[in-house]
Amino acid sequence: MRKLLEIALGILTAIGGFVDIGDLVASTETGARFGLGLAWVLLVGVVGIVIYAEMAGRVASVSGRAVFDLVRERLGAGAGLLNLAASFFITLLTLAAEIGGVALSLQLATSVNYLLFVPVVGFLVWLVCWRVRFELMDNAVGLLGLALIVVAVAVWRAHPDWGAMLHSATHPVVPTTESHAAYWYFAIALLGSAMTPYEVFFFSSGAVEQRWTRSDLLVNRLNVYIGFPLGGLLALALMVAAALVLEPLGIDPSHLSQAALPTSLVLGRLGLALALLGFFACTFGASLETALSCGYSIAQYFGWQWGKFVKPAQAPRFQLAVLVSIALGVGLVLTTLDPVQITEYAIVLSAAALPLTYLPLLIVANDPAYLGGKVNSRLSNAIASLFLVVLVLASVATIPLMIASKAGGG
Amino acid sequence: MARRLDAALELLDRQLVDKDGRLAGKVDDLELTDPGDGLEQPRVTAILTGPDALAGRLHTRFGRWLQGVVLRLLARQGPARVPLEQVQAIGSSIELRVAAGRLDTGQGWARRLIGRLPGAGEGDAAQ
Repeated sequence: MRKLLEIALGILTAIGGFVDIGDLVASTETGARFGLGLAWVLLVGVVGIVIYAEMAGRVASVSGRAVFDLVRERLGAGAGLLNLAASFFITLLTLAAEIGGVALSLQLATSVNYLLFVPVVGFLVWLVCWRVRFELMDNAVGLLGLALIVVAVAVWRAHPDWGAMLHSATHPVVPTTESHAAYWYFAIALLGSAMTPYEVFFFSSGAVEQRWTRSDLLVNRLNVYIGFPLGGLLALALMVAAALVLEPLGIDPSHLSQAALPTSLVLGRLGLALALLGFFACTFGASLETALSCGYSIAQYFGWQWGKFVKPAQAPRFQLAVLVSIALGVGLVLTTLDPVQITEYAIVLSAAALPLTYLPLLIVANDPAYLGGKVNSRLSNAIASLFLVVLVLASVATIPLMIASKAGGG
Repeated sequence: MARRLDAALELLDRQLVDKDGRLAGKVDDLELTDPGDGLEQPRVTAILTGPDALAGRLHTRFGRWLQGVVLRLLARQGPARVPLEQVQAIGSSIELRVAAGRLDTGQGWARRLIGRLPGAGEGDAAQ
């Protein structure tokens, strides 16, 4: 019974924790500009993160080694350090975007300028990283994030033409108003938002934080196989809502409020309130995940004691890395750079950096020295290798597409 | 006990875990000793760990610069050295027979800084 509860809780947490500022921005923007023409990328991204997160969780459960441990071991000191620099920079950028997202959600709820909230949000993020038990933190924000289901309810209540939607999702076309470069640029942004590297840093480190062992492999599988796809459905709901409401109006979203607009139009004030609660919870949760991931990646590269399962004084350099990362993130948002733009760059750069994280993981997931009999099956190797090819292609194409589409502008 | 393994693959860059299960740094470098008889190959005699050992291995101008900065900032006497006799097991991590506190991996300064914040739990931290 207890195990069953634990599994249910894990799945719910995974659903609520799946969406972050990257999904909010990318799904809304692609829905508003391309209708459902990019919905297939969301499906691809979810399959990718499911495959690799399951590997990360399995390796962590069986060997106790989190992802950046593996990066260092497989790539060596030099290449590992370059990888650390790139991954840390992107995760930090994401952290700044998430903190900005929390502050923007609060602005939407209170009409007080978001910049005033930024330092307070930064402090709260640090306080939770410093004091709150890992399981409590993980579950609380994940469950609150379930408020986003309201977006799916709004889509359903809008009584869309399901047949036409399915048709446009399965027969993608580039709208006449958009260039092919912009289409593929946003395809990469969506892929980056679904497979952001910090997600596997956090997921695998979280498995170690919760002291998962071989006996938790089932929990790992169910979390990933059920929780992530259902979380992906929330991202899809955001895209559909934007396609239904914003695209006909010709709105090109550049502000977080537009992500909540469809829900508030369909469901009124209560819908808006729930959507804002969902935005707040998922960006706050992701702020915690990215802040901790900054610390995890640095500490795991250098082999320092890390984790919330020991007292801060026993993992001083890890805690210091988390603290400094949050301060840097807050500083970046306070420069008044638009958080939505920071998000766009964070997810596109994430996409470019994906092979750096996923290649070492795939190698280790096949190493019996780490996993004994629990190495990848042939099927998962086939899918994962195919994905790696896609990721490398996306990575190579990112910068040229960024230039050709003027970062998606036209 | 001499044992043959691929030092670059199975030792270098692996996680060190101390006798109490704490994470104690990485295998940042290895100490090789030449038996000197001209017949046998050099042997790994110790694990070196710490930022200086790591920087020394980067073999670039940046690495040498980093090494200088790290040494000056942390006032280190050189990398922490763990003789191979103190290694308990070699697997996906390297388990040591010593406590992490016995190794100077250069975390004293961070400990003093973080220990000042409320709730750091410095009082009952054993090292």
